[in-house]
Amino acid sequence: MKIEFILNGETQTIDVHPARRLLDILREDFHLTAVKEGCGEGECGACVVLMDGKAVNSCLIPAGYLEGKSILTPEGFKETPRGQILEEAFIEAGAVQCGFCTPGFIMAAESLLNENPNPTNAQIREGLSGNLCRCTGYQMIFKAVRLAIEKGEGLW
Amino acid sequence: MVDAYRPKTLSEALKIRNETDCLPIAGGTDLMVQKARGTGLGPGFEKPLLFVGHLPELQRIEKKEGYIHIGPAVLLSELLHNPLIPDTFKKAVALMASPPSRNLATLGGNICNASPAGDTLPFLYAADAELLLENHAFERRMAIEDFITGPKQTDMKPDELLTDIIIPDMDFPVTYYKKVGQRRGMSLTKASFHGLADVLDGYVEDLRMAFGSVAPTVVRSRDIENSLIGESVNSLKNRYQEILELYEPLIQPIDDARSTAKYRKNVCFNMLKDFLNHLEKNQGDII
Amino acid sequence: MTISKSIKRTDAREKIRGEAQYIGDMSFDNPLYLKTVRSTRPHAKILDIHLPDLPEGCFIIDKSHIPGKNRMRTVVSDHPILAEDEVLYIGQPILLVAGPSRELVYQISEKIRIDYEDLPAVFTLEESEKQNCVFTEYSFSKGEPDTAFAQAARIIEDEYRTGLQEHVYLEPQGMAAEVKDDTVFVYGSMQCPFYVEDALTEALGRPSDKIRVVQTTTGGAFGGKEEFPSLIACHTAIAALATHHPVFLIYDRDEDIICSTKRHPSIIRYKAGLDDNNRVTVLDIDLLYDAGAYCGLSPVVLQRGIFSATNVYNFHHLKVHGRNFRTHTVPSGAFRGFGAPQSIFGTEMLMHNIAVSLGLDPLEFKMKHILKQGDPSCTGGKIHDKVILPELVERALDLSDYRQKIQKKKKFAGVGISLFLHGCGFTGNGEQLIKGKIILRKSKDRVVLKISSVEMGQGADTVLRKIVAHTLDLPIEKVTCEIRDTGLVPDSGPTVASRTTMIVGGLLKTAADEMKSRWNEAEDFEISKVYHHPDFLTWDNDTFQGNAYPTYSWGVNVAEITIDPVTYDIHIEKVTGVYDVGRAIDERALRGQMEGGIAQGAGWATLEVMKSKEGKLVQHNLTDYKVPTSMDVPEITCDFIDNPYEFGPFGAKCAGELPMSGAPPAVVAAISNALGIPLKEIPVTPEMLMELERHED
Repeated sequence: MKIEFILNGETQTIDVHPARRLLDILREDFHLTAVKEGCGEGECGACVVLMDGKAVNSCLIPAGYLEGKSILTPEGFKETPRGQILEEAFIEAGAVQCGFCTPGFIMAAESLLNENPNPTNAQIREGLSGNLCRCTGYQMIFKAVRLAIEKGEGLW
Repeated sequence: MVDAYRPKTLSEALKIRNETDCLPIAGGTDLMVQKARGTGLGPGFEKPLLFVGHLPELQRIEKKEGYIHIGPAVLLSELLHNPLIPDTFKKAVALMASPPSRNLATLGGNICNASPAGDTLPFLYAADAELLLENHAFERRMAIEDFITGPKQTDMKPDELLTDIIIPDMDFPVTYYKKVGQRRGMSLTKASFHGLADVLDGYVEDLRMAFGSVAPTVVRSRDIENSLIGESVNSLKNRYQEILELYEPLIQPIDDARSTAKYRKNVCFNMLKDFLNHLEKNQGDII
Repeated sequence: MTISKSIKRTDAREKIRGEAQYIGDMSFDNPLYLKTVRSTRPHAKILDIHLPDLPEGCFIIDKSHIPGKNRMRTVVSDHPILAEDEVLYIGQPILLVAGPSRELVYQISEKIRIDYEDLPAVFTLEESEKQNCVFTEYSFSKGEPDTAFAQAARIIEDEYRTGLQEHVYLEPQGMAAEVKDDTVFVYGSMQCPFYVEDALTEALGRPSDKIRVVQTTTGGAFGGKEEFPSLIACHTAIAALATHHPVFLIYDRDEDIICSTKRHPSIIRYKAGLDDNNRVTVLDIDLLYDAGAYCGLSPVVLQRGIFSATNVYNFHHLKVHGRNFRTHTVPSGAFRGFGAPQSIFGTEMLMHNIAVSLGLDPLEFKMKHILKQGDPSCTGGKIHDKVILPELVERALDLSDYRQKIQKKKKFAGVGISLFLHGCGFTGNGEQLIKGKIILRKSKDRVVLKISSVEMGQGADTVLRKIVAHTLDLPIEKVTCEIRDTGLVPDSGPTVASRTTMIVGGLLKTAADEMKSRWNEAEDFEISKVYHHPDFLTWDNDTFQGNAYPTYSWGVNVAEITIDPVTYDIHIEKVTGVYDVGRAIDERALRGQMEGGIAQGAGWATLEVMKSKEGKLVQHNLTDYKVPTSMDVPEITCDFIDNPYEFGPFGAKCAGELPMSGAPPAVVAAISNALGIPLKEIPVTPEMLMELERHED
């Protein structure tokens, strides 16, 4: 099936099986390997990307769904002003250990702050609840999001 | 074989449905997992896919003549942000899956998937929701409990699509929702309960009680509810044991990877008791 | 600046940006994909294997392709790399399918049929005990337990249980291999490059100089990438040799859960003798650990289990008996804490439950029994270092307001406290046997660390570089780590047993001190150091007498929980942890270990239900096996009290595994406190609590 969609700001036309997972399209066809596969069933959030500005699990999206959508991966997000703020905040807060979940958390945090620039602690927990981290116990990730809000005043 | 169809309009979709044995797919959050084959392989669907999630006709939320109409392709996350959606329903939706999944999953998908653990279903049963099913020539409107015939089974005909979800626009002063999950975040349901009631001067004017995840389909008994309408909330409290016994034969949970039948049954009774106690307090909602 | 002041993690930026290369992110020219064909039977004889016709470029690899010995080398090398005539668990590897596309490989593997003849199988610890299917058995004693029991005023017997636990490192297991110029290169996610190299030398029957093992960025491990990667490294290496192609073997999550090692389930039986003053004078501990289908490194897991079984307490008379049992289930293996969290859970809960049953305050009761400096450990080794457990307890009580909270108890809310320790480094004479080696290389104004200890998320790169940079007064950017490639680095030992900072960091510190004194030499130079065990430590591995560990790290946890009276859902509201790890090399990195360990321990104690039914795991994906999410973790407060260890770098002792033992007994004591019922088994579930409450009624 021929699909046209926007990937990190550029229009792409691909011809793939309509059930091919967006995760595989990104990692294998476009070599965008910041998107990780941790479970393949929407449970871990390591594959989270933004679709039209909102966090989605790329392992659950069939190619046929992509038509006309705009996809942003960590590769496309990292050099943006908000991407930079989140990067610094995650470093400063100590929110990274093994790192496999981290790009997904960054995208989830971006989606959360897009929707709610001033979340409460409970809303931060809720907003990140689709992303598993087994290393940190999450505390420093919460701190990183609060830090990003402080540092990025007005950006979200 | 054609692998998939991506119609531009609903009528085009219904035409394909009429001509082809295909599998409608909206958000895909359930189907992609059910048919998953692993990294790089893509899921193994036996039938061509019919993408319907993008159809504008299926994405509306509107109020008309005492009913709220929700398009089946409306995302769970959109329900949460729409002022027409009752708060008590939003509470159930907010506890479903995770934020990224709620940006994909649709209300119609949750209904057609017909999982006993579908978290939108207890509310829809309690609210007397109706569904509109269409084929290329006809439409039929039916109660949700008639549509869902068993676990993962519906009355949808091979040429039909679900095109509208219709909820009477009613205001229940007393609402109660509780989801018993495996954990707080991103959790499938072990048991759930949605209660709606109207109480006037200490007497029950209207009462709906729906249990999720504890039988092949959502449990709601109009007979039991009707037998309690008109009673005083105080007397309901005293008849608690009797009410439990009425529900006992209907609540038939199973042991599985997530919980035990025994626990599910007990927790249902606890939720029912809690709801009945809540009626006495008369107002507000609880979660 | 003190060493403890936090710096930015050296690997954080590339991980955030998604630029770090995990094994699945690597690419090779014309790779073949591997898929493992596994046993579907818990115990069976393989009668016949029916293979489909293979398309061009596809291969089937079986036991006959193994050039060397068909056993995965570890402590007990009993696991066949590919099954021979018999399979002992569901998920055991039998064949490998290799092909140029995943689709082809999948299609072929779907068509393979295996005929089995089922054999009798044993599924539970109890059955295995009845049939006496013992892999290993140890015992030791202290004082005169029989006399002490005869003189006891009161005898209490009890039994405790802990369940399976899956690591859920976010990056599933994965390995790749290629042959270049007659050298086999294996790349992958691992804790122990030289374990993998050892396993390969034996399986391939080739010398280690024809093998290179290269660790790639490792997305979490927790013990799950200690011995298991050796197995799949052998699979990839054998396949690369057989097919003359680079090969990839990356597990999907379900496959990973089904076949990778788990934490040993346990049953621990106690008999305690108390005197007239309600002091436990004698304890008999019988530990049963479920090793699964193969023995592997279960003997050393059991050793840590039995040597940790007295936890922080000094019982004057003691009898300890431990056994590993075979069941026809997926093999158990290394998991953070390595056998200690099970026995510490049992003993902490025993102490708690005895105190409550006698109407005593659990904390006061425990404090009457704690070890002090100069006391003999359970194996009779002197506790050489200062024990600051009372200070840790005081700090934890203050930070958590424990005293106030335990007095003003509300219904369905509870508070609990746990005391715990972790023996630092390898058990017994392990460090003497492995003799870790490091090299520090000066090249102009830069320094390179050559070690095999890996970064797997725990922060080893940052911490070890910091030790050297701090000693040499260099900015951390001037100090780097060599790639963990067995062709480039010496064997500083495996990245296990919380030994990396204390043992490897200690060697690096010594080398850095020496380098500092030679800093102005004109030529570049290298300094190498080999581990030397402190002379005052003794150990007899036959009698289990002496210092089972060179020293201990200590901790105190206070947990606060609430229970939903309708559903019995447990919510862990807050955990306070206070620790003595000698000295923090980097406080934030250390805090990250403690917070993660609390979450993992709390998960094991409550959410993480994993059961097997007739050898088949009931929860085998992340939909059914639930680890804590951001909404489940408690608020966590951590603090540290310095107690520098003479033989650790800057006084550092062990840290990474310590928190795993603390949260479970604290959380379970809090649940017990909330409902007023004794609890003896984890995970504690709402199902279990509702059942217990109904019995109470």
